[in-house]
Amino acid sequence: MIDHDAPGDVIRLDGVTKTYSGGGPPALADVSMGVAGGEVAAVMGPSGSGKSTLLNLIAGLDRPTSGTVTVAGRRIDTLGESALARFRARHIGIIFQFFNLLDDLTVEDNVLLPAQLAGASRRQARARAGELLARMGIEEHRNSYPARMSGGQRQRVAIARALVNSPEVLLADEPTGALDTATGQEIGRLLRQLNEGGQTLVLVTHDPDLAERYAARTVRIVDGRLAGAHAGVFR
Amino acid sequence: MSWFGPVRTATGGMLRHKVQAVVLGMVLLVSTASATLGLALLAASDAPFQHAFAAQDGAHLTVTVNPARATAARLAGTRTLRGVTAMAGPFAEATVPAQWSGQDFGQMVLAGRASGGGPVDDAVLTAGHWVTGPGQIVLDGPPGGGGPALGSTITVTGLKHPVNLKVVGFANSITYSADGWVAPGQVAGLRPAGAPASAELLYRFADAGTEAQIRADLAEVTGALPAGTVTGSDSWLAAKSRNTGNGAIMEPFVVAFALIGLAMAVLIVANVVSGAVAAGYYRIGVLKSIGLTPAQVVVAYLSRVGVPALAGCVLGVVAGNLLAAPVLHQSAGAYGVASQTVPWWASVLAPAGMLALTALAAFAPALRAGRLSATQAIAAGRAPNAGRGYTMHRLASRLRLPRPVGLGLAAPFARPARTLVSLAAIGFGATAVIFAVGLSASLGRAAGYQSLSATVPVEIQQNGPAGGPGQPSPTAQAAQADAAVRAQPGTAHATTVYEDQVKVPGVAGSVNAWAFSGDSSWLGYGVIAGHWYDAPGQVDVNTAFLTDSGLTIGDTATIDTGTDPMTQVTVHIVGEVFHPSSDPTLYGSTRTLPGLANAGNLLQWDIGLRPGTSAASYVQALNARLGANDPWQATTQKDGGQFYTIAVGLVGLLALMVAVAAGLGVLNTVLMTTRDRVHDLGIFKALGMRPGQMLTMVVCWIAGPAVIAAAIAAPVAVALNTATVHAMAGTAHTGVPADVTQVFPPGRLALLSLAALAIAVIGALAPAGWAARARPAVALRTE
Repeated sequence: MIDHDAPGDVIRLDGVTKTYSGGGPPALADVSMGVAGGEVAAVMGPSGSGKSTLLNLIAGLDRPTSGTVTVAGRRIDTLGESALARFRARHIGIIFQFFNLLDDLTVEDNVLLPAQLAGASRRQARARAGELLARMGIEEHRNSYPARMSGGQRQRVAIARALVNSPEVLLADEPTGALDTATGQEIGRLLRQLNEGGQTLVLVTHDPDLAERYAARTVRIVDGRLAGAHAGVFR
Repeated sequence: MSWFGPVRTATGGMLRHKVQAVVLGMVLLVSTASATLGLALLAASDAPFQHAFAAQDGAHLTVTVNPARATAARLAGTRTLRGVTAMAGPFAEATVPAQWSGQDFGQMVLAGRASGGGPVDDAVLTAGHWVTGPGQIVLDGPPGGGGPALGSTITVTGLKHPVNLKVVGFANSITYSADGWVAPGQVAGLRPAGAPASAELLYRFADAGTEAQIRADLAEVTGALPAGTVTGSDSWLAAKSRNTGNGAIMEPFVVAFALIGLAMAVLIVANVVSGAVAAGYYRIGVLKSIGLTPAQVVVAYLSRVGVPALAGCVLGVVAGNLLAAPVLHQSAGAYGVASQTVPWWASVLAPAGMLALTALAAFAPALRAGRLSATQAIAAGRAPNAGRGYTMHRLASRLRLPRPVGLGLAAPFARPARTLVSLAAIGFGATAVIFAVGLSASLGRAAGYQSLSATVPVEIQQNGPAGGPGQPSPTAQAAQADAAVRAQPGTAHATTVYEDQVKVPGVAGSVNAWAFSGDSSWLGYGVIAGHWYDAPGQVDVNTAFLTDSGLTIGDTATIDTGTDPMTQVTVHIVGEVFHPSSDPTLYGSTRTLPGLANAGNLLQWDIGLRPGTSAASYVQALNARLGANDPWQATTQKDGGQFYTIAVGLVGLLALMVAVAAGLGVLNTVLMTTRDRVHDLGIFKALGMRPGQMLTMVVCWIAGPAVIAAAIAAPVAVALNTATVHAMAGTAHTGVPADVTQVFPPGRLALLSLAALAIAVIGALAPAGWAARARPAVALRTE
């Protein structure tokens, strides 16, 4: 068990509340938790429970209404937009349910993009992209366009893209949600392999199978609050 | 199903996209205002003199009479002569020397009129009020332009006791019947001692369209009065010709700008409207899926753009009228007419045309939306057609450019039609800006050649009657003035200029001959072809001379100077000189044109100053040396004239309007593209694209088309400027020196071409800023 204020946490949230404009109950209410380096943590909960909001806050895609978010030793809720974008490019990789690949870029260009935005050298970025595409088993598709690939292949491209800057934290939002069962299992195995290599991974899913099979710990969120016997703790 | 529901639904959709509605309204506002102004200017440039002449009951013939020779009844009796349809006068008049602000104001013809109105020559007040008593004057012409203003004092000199007249108004007599009007009872007191009484009669005739008819009309009047009564006359055709010298010159560039403005308004409105409808495809798909019929979809989306378009058009016609008022005031001044207004049909046609265009532009995409299935509409509303622009992205990724720049430059290829429209809008805007700068420079050079202000900062001209009683002879006075000029410190050049009328076989009527004493090569006349004369026997001529005579440079001509002893000289035409006038004119040295150099023909001295000499100080010192009573007085030369000032101001305003419209067109395009690609923008942000990189990328969407637009606009503007200047010169009966159109050295043209980039960047900055500031999570959620 890792306590939410354990010193080895790569991700720490303290008293985080997120309320969207327009009123209504908070999407997240007073959430405190931590994720240790090299762990796979699954976040589960029904639709609208606040899973994606939690992921967005960890990724720095959104800001909490109150509370603090610390990732890779840096408090990100106080960063400006530029600093946040720079931080995201260097420390965080994101895998989306619907891949979010750019259809007008080739597979290789999609993978290269975060490295280029982060200012990596052209040669290093291409070498890293080539290595990742080979690791994902889609090297022969490097000049293809995403729209012509299968769902599984696209998610592999998305994973390669998320890893290109060697981020400390990999966030996956329903990574198998748009895939058939067999392909979903392939992707799950791939994520586990990454974790075995030391990659910290937060997996948002409402697939209990995926969470059970691949995550070391699971936290449940209901109505924006951590639920279950171990609220505030990943298990 | 009710029709109200779909309309309300669509309107709700538009209101949800407030920025797009505002941009659509703004574009319609600017376009309608531009169209209103363009139509008003086109109408204003259409025979302004003729329209004003009709509106102001202009005098076909102004007859100057000696009232001592005929009784008032005889003069009044000419009203019933055959062919006379209306008559005004007699108005007592006096020709007086005048000063303003201590400076010579030239000879003025002042007429005594109790009011500006009447059956003939309605002198329309443009400022102030009509004279109400002695000591007041109403000046002919528009106020401002560096001349006297309301409240200024005009001093009538040449009298034992100079008389001050306060300027109480400005009026326009379409045939320039007087330089100013005073109270009728004051005229006699303004006449110099010994000057005969004089009065003017103003006539309108049934037939006065040609010189021959005017001559016949004049003969009718002259014949009805005692011999010697008629001392002079002026035809409206002469006034028309003088007016055309300025007014018609404006027409080519006014028409050019009006057409650019109208074409761009059409283009941008079509783009904005069709884009607004296309942007609603997703919503259309949703509406169709819940049961809207194709016809209801068409109606819904026509009404979607209808509300902001209608608001924009209504506000636009109001703005157009407000904007047109000062512009037409300026153009009226340049055309030499009292006032010009926006014709009612322009205020109807402009908004109606823009609304029709809006409906037309919206109809095609709305019809397409109606025909699409729900799923097709949803798909069409989400993204551009797959496959477009992929190759360019691939190429851009190979370039060694910062990635946001490469992504931005490749993006326009995903929407080629939209990109082409943006390119055209930027191209029109840049063309207008480059053209405006070039035309201003060309007009400046033309003004410089016409006034010679750069080379001849000082002139000495006659400011009063020469050789009067008790004064030296005109020849002696001229010799004194010449000696004073040459003795004045600061004089670098002084050339005496004589003018007379000569005859040239083959040219109907007289030819103005300008004879220069001494070196005249420094004067800086604009040479269109050939060169300035540099030897005896050589002359230069203006374009009207070549046109009228059929001669060309290199030909010889025989000139009858009408002087004694030599009356005929053979000259060699060596150059064509810039002189905008329909009157044929030739220029030569006094050695080439003997007999012209006499005091009676003395026109002026042109004076060039040594470097560092102040023209104003020079004039003051020289006038002190000449003495207050000397008929010859020095004046400073002003660069250009009111026409050039007005023309340059008008050019600037028109260019600004076109550039603003182009910027709005860009804003709309970038806004539509950011909406199309909002999800992609979210992805970019999620992957670590910083706000600065986002701003760069979005600006680069439009930078590529802007560079192409600049490359097209630059040569088009140069060609347009050349064509317009030649057209303007043609209406002024002259060619132009080559350097009048050569106003675009490569460096300047390159710099001006940045106007395209400036329009694009300024137009794109706002939506680019919105994109840069958007929260990634919000952008990722938005569809």
